[in-house]
Amino acid sequence: MPVTFALTPVASIAMLAAMFYGAMYGGSTTSILVNIPGEAASVVTCLDGYQMAKQGRAGVALGMAAIGSFIAGTLSLVAMTFFSPLLTSAALTFGPPENFALMVLGLVCTILMIQGSALKGIMMIGLGLLLATVGIDLVDGKERFTFGSVDLSAGFDLVAVVIGLFGVSEILLNVESAIKNEVVATRIRELLPTWQDWKDSWKPILRGSGLGFLLGVIPGGGPVTASFMSYAVERRIAKDPTRFGKGAIEGLAGPESANNAAVASGMIPLMSLGLPGNAVTALLMGALIIQGVQPGPMMMSQHPDVFWGVIASMYVGNVFLLILNLPLIGLWVQLLRVPYAVLFPIILLLAVVGTYSANKNFFDLYVMIGFGVIGYVLRKFDYEMGPLLLSFVLAPLLEQSLRQSMVMSSEGFAIFLARPITVTLLAISLALILLVVKRKVQTKGDAT
Amino acid sequence: MKRRAICSLIAGLLAAPLLLPVAHAQTEADVKAQVAKLKPKDFPTQPIELTVVYPAGGAVDVSARHVGKYFEKWSGQKAIVNNRTGGAGIVGHTYLATQAKNDGYTLGVVASLIFADSMLRSQGRWTLDNLEPIAYLNSDGLNAIVSSEGPYKDKSFKDMIELAKQKPNTIRVATVPNSVFEYLVDQLELVTGAKFLKVPFQGGAPAIAAVLGNHVDMSIGFHVEFISMLEAKKVTPIAVASAERSPYLPNVPTVNEILGRKDVIWGATRWVTAPKGIPADRKAYLVAAFNAAVRDPELQAEFRKLGSVPDTRFATPAQIAEHLNRLATLERDFYVKSGRLK
Repeated sequence: MPVTFALTPVASIAMLAAMFYGAMYGGSTTSILVNIPGEAASVVTCLDGYQMAKQGRAGVALGMAAIGSFIAGTLSLVAMTFFSPLLTSAALTFGPPENFALMVLGLVCTILMIQGSALKGIMMIGLGLLLATVGIDLVDGKERFTFGSVDLSAGFDLVAVVIGLFGVSEILLNVESAIKNEVVATRIRELLPTWQDWKDSWKPILRGSGLGFLLGVIPGGGPVTASFMSYAVERRIAKDPTRFGKGAIEGLAGPESANNAAVASGMIPLMSLGLPGNAVTALLMGALIIQGVQPGPMMMSQHPDVFWGVIASMYVGNVFLLILNLPLIGLWVQLLRVPYAVLFPIILLLAVVGTYSANKNFFDLYVMIGFGVIGYVLRKFDYEMGPLLLSFVLAPLLEQSLRQSMVMSSEGFAIFLARPITVTLLAISLALILLVVKRKVQTKGDAT
Repeated sequence: MKRRAICSLIAGLLAAPLLLPVAHAQTEADVKAQVAKLKPKDFPTQPIELTVVYPAGGAVDVSARHVGKYFEKWSGQKAIVNNRTGGAGIVGHTYLATQAKNDGYTLGVVASLIFADSMLRSQGRWTLDNLEPIAYLNSDGLNAIVSSEGPYKDKSFKDMIELAKQKPNTIRVATVPNSVFEYLVDQLELVTGAKFLKVPFQGGAPAIAAVLGNHVDMSIGFHVEFISMLEAKKVTPIAVASAERSPYLPNVPTVNEILGRKDVIWGATRWVTAPKGIPADRKAYLVAAFNAAVRDPELQAEFRKLGSVPDTRFATPAQIAEHLNRLATLERDFYVKSGRLK
């Protein structure tokens, strides 16, 4: 960001936005290759992407992730170009009760993501919600579970938690398994998606784009929510849901498209309302303000050059992402030939640097190591990290929107029944839960 | 306390003759020469670090990046911004007050939100006396805003207070818990007897979106947070909680004018601070260099773009300390009256 100081407004925001969605894609590269997500929105990519890599289809996975991201990003931009004003008013109708209903739907989707034991998965969701309560209470400002520690008053940092739970624990697990290079053992065969892959992926990509686009516009949504809702949807409507978690390309193409679409459409609330949806768009907003461009309803008329310049740059950025990434796939896949004994210390080093540089807080490193050990132990006993992390991400907004709604409402929970959007979202959540329960009961019936 | 006063005095005396005539007769080269004359031989040999306790992109961060740039312009020395975030600022404030070295290389760009941290959240580990001011940057008052299209579009601030008195707990106000947003609303309730329905939000931007979407009736916010909504005629500011009217909204009365009081002042005042006890020669140099920067009309124009009000009346550390103490005392009184502080 400091670099942007010296640039023109369009150049600076274009650079930052490009870094943002570049990172979105880079995050999936490590998810696929070494089962370590670069950021929270790529957690879902690990599930099927890494399995694909194990089957020797790392190149296909990387290619599909890049192409899906490109298509979704472009579609999202086209939609944004035409529907920005319309969506702005739609975003405003999302108040606390609507956000709460959305977060409930998110949690239900988290349940749908569970691969193994439902009980263990739900326990992990509970643990995630619990861990998210550490720190200063968002509503009345009391400290919770901080034991008087200033460092804990900020809660656990998301970057440190992601890197710990996924990166450090993955390394610990691999160190233990006598360093055998599974991925390379199964040869890297195909580098480009086959006709069959295309046939399997195009629908998930389109669905992911639509979902990601809509969730990106809503202040409470964003790339993380979008990616795993897309996964839940794909798994839900798949003819054979058992393939998911074993290298199903739909489970990769959908979420990858969704998170990129959400990144692009996340620019709508930022540029038309001055409302940043997450830390990164908040940074973009700061960069615009430094340049004397105030994001908001007047931006399009006062600074049309910046507004359309940013959108144009995002089109170009998407194309570049594709051009840069496709030829590199071969190179990334070669990385897998590096022995783990060499690769993992390097990853660990990068994990430490990455965690520290996020906040320049030494305490985050302890958090990272702590969560690495916790993740290692839990994974040994077949507890899944995905639900834990996703509920940890959703929890703050879930709690905050619930408590805001309760303050706003004079009749308690009735507030959720008085609004059409909340009723719809909650009804979908309920229907999904019933479907899951029904399936469970049926499979149990079949077994006996 | 005593040593602090003496330190400030020395620095003030050193700086005073330099600063007073700066604005008028002197050329840029003169000022630069005077700043250079105060430069200690062994300082600085590395960049000055400006600690910001909030994330990049916020008002404090942007102020710091600007002031760092103009510090470089006037002193020829490098200044870099370092964001030490966490715990809504308490992590960075604690670092500045208890861990940062007082060798002049680590400074902080802080906002008056540090008052509340020092009184309510430092748990006795530090107070404002662990820090000393170097240069005054700018201030923003908090504004009360209603939607220009909602049911309260024609109401004045006084009307809103009256409504909240007649029908307690029905006027929904967006506040940010544990912040000046909430303290302002609490103080309004305390001094007028009104009772608002306080809906908590995380920051001014979502609060203003909520007033636009009619999820709340009134919102609290800084100028920069609603300026574009104001230009689009979507919101109407109805009062500002600063000591004087905002130069950007000359027709909007202050809360104190409306209520006939003097003590309702909430907002953000920003300044450059240092861990207490940095060597006198280094301090004098830093004071001179930062003051040359904040007097630069270009920097002041940058601050105005942010909706902040620069103020060169507070030139010496002693003057800044006096001003800050006055604000801090007002806050402390409110905390005691509202039962937050014993």
